[in-house]
Amino acid sequence: MIIFEDVCKTYQPLGNVALDHVNLHIHPGEFVFVLGHSGAGKSTFLKLILREEKATSGRVIVNGQDLSKLKERKIPYLRRQMGVVFQDFRLIPTMTAYENVAFAMRVTNIPEKHIRKRVPFALDLVGLKDKMDRLPDELSGGEQQRVALARAVVHTPKLIIADEPTGNIDPQLSLEMMELLGAINAMGITVVVVTHEHELVSRFNKRVITIDKGQVVADTDQPGLGAAFRDAENAKLDLGEVRI
Amino acid sequence: MKWSSFRYLVGQGLHSLRMNRLMTFASVGVLSVCLILTGVAYLFSTNVDSLVEYIGQQNEMVVYLDPDLSEEEISQVDSSVRSISGVTSITYVSKADVLETYKGYMEEYADLWDAFEDDNPFKANYRVVVEDLEQMEALSAQFAAIAGVVKVSAPLELSDIFVSVQRVVTYAGYAFVAVLAVVSVVVIGTTIRLTLFARRKEINIMKYVGATNGFIRLPFFVEGVASGLISAAIASAVVLGSYYALEYYSGQIFTGMWATVVGASLVPLADVWYWLVAGFCAFAFVLGGLGTAVSIRKHLNV
Ligand SMILES: Nc1ncnc2c1ncn2[C@@H]1O[C@H](COP(=O)(O)OP(=O)(O)OP(=O)(O)O)[C@@H](O)[C@H]1O
Ligand SMILES: [Mg+2]
Repeated sequence: MIIFEDVCKTYQPLGNVALDHVNLHIHPGEFVFVLGHSGAGKSTFLKLILREEKATSGRVIVNGQDLSKLKERKIPYLRRQMGVVFQDFRLIPTMTAYENVAFAMRVTNIPEKHIRKRVPFALDLVGLKDKMDRLPDELSGGEQQRVALARAVVHTPKLIIADEPTGNIDPQLSLEMMELLGAINAMGITVVVVTHEHELVSRFNKRVITIDKGQVVADTDQPGLGAAFRDAENAKLDLGEVRI
Repeated sequence: MKWSSFRYLVGQGLHSLRMNRLMTFASVGVLSVCLILTGVAYLFSTNVDSLVEYIGQQNEMVVYLDPDLSEEEISQVDSSVRSISGVTSITYVSKADVLETYKGYMEEYADLWDAFEDDNPFKANYRVVVEDLEQMEALSAQFAAIAGVVKVSAPLELSDIFVSVQRVVTYAGYAFVAVLAVVSVVVIGTTIRLTLFARRKEINIMKYVGATNGFIRLPFFVEGVASGLISAAIASAVVLGSYYALEYYSGQIFTGMWATVVGASLVPLADVWYWLVAGFCAFAFVLGGLGTAVSIRKHLNV
């Protein structure tokens, strides 16, 4: 589903290296966490998948398409194959939950008849069918994030990517959010969740790819990789606990 | 694009026109003023053209023939004179006609003129109205070169003055309209930029869900072009209304010699209104589209 082949990303003009020779392979139907500290390069990783940024070198292949060769005007069609969820929800405050989800379908040229069927279905999936006429301000943070999730899945994409989806909601709701993502994954949709929350990741028995300073330093699919790094991280965590 | 999507996008553009009321009001206001001034410049220059033409018609050239020519010679000269092009009308005035005219001026003394019946001292001549005042000098030389023509009198200086006035008015009009066009593009561009800013969240979301660039841009063009067309409607109403009033009351406004000149040369509203309205719409359409395009190019990275 997603293949990174020796990908580097350097931001000009300062020359910040955000990704440094990244190699990885995410298969269709997988649920993957991408874990890393602030500034590790997690968002950059997602931006490359969304083709918001172009790799400086190496190849990014998403759903069989080599993104370095993708023409500008084909980018919208690439994005229609995915759904995105952000930390700050990105809902339109003047539109109801229903309208927010419908908006995503309208602007991609989907007929109204289809929208009227799909939107309630997606809102039902995230448990918000009875609140679909509320404005974002009239919903809790967790509910707003679920609207965002409904918007990401409404067109039945092959891939969902989420950038810190639990960053603005409390831990209890974070777990619910993850369970929803798990349910969506069970429908056969590939899910990639980017987060810096070590705690949250450790509660789920899923594949974890750890990025640090732009490099993949650990991958639970490849136990050999990054053992030293893991030990160092654990040592840090232990120290933290001692201090408290 | 599907019809329902198109309708949706047009609706979005018109919606933001309403949401953005204050800025729409400002840009429609400025654009209307620009169009009104452009319309006034157009009407002014059209009327100067008409005035110049009218004065040209009053300024005939007179081509005098040698009084000693025989009938045969006159008919030869006649064909040469009539072969010259660039002439609106040409009227032959025989010796006898001239005498009659003078008799008419002084009816009481008509008898006195009878003395000249047999020995007419006047010269037969042609009254020539030229098509283009600028060509008067060249034409007068052509007439003078014909054998049998003794003199050509042409009001060259006067025609020169009117031709230069006409030229200045035309060029000043072009420059004026160009400046106004730039102002309008800037104003519409600014309005669209504000809309872009107000809708940056939506635009951002549209990008992520895979809306095409055309889809993202269309509502902004609808907004820009609609502002333009509203302004065109306002400008048409103001300019046509004022011109109608001017035409209607011209009898009271202009007196004396001016009444005659204006009466004869004021271009009737019926002859120009469709040009004005079509011009306003086309101008507003282009400026609205251009303003939007400039703004989108600068501020929308899709
Ligand atoms: N547009 C940009 N221009 C220049 N440098 C950038 C840009 N975006 C990111 N960077 C740099 O690239 C590196 C990785 O950034 P990235 O946003 O991918 O980190 P992140 O892992 O998402 O961090 P966070 O958890 O804080 O969101 C950082 O050093 C950052 O300063
Ligand atoms: Mg980030």
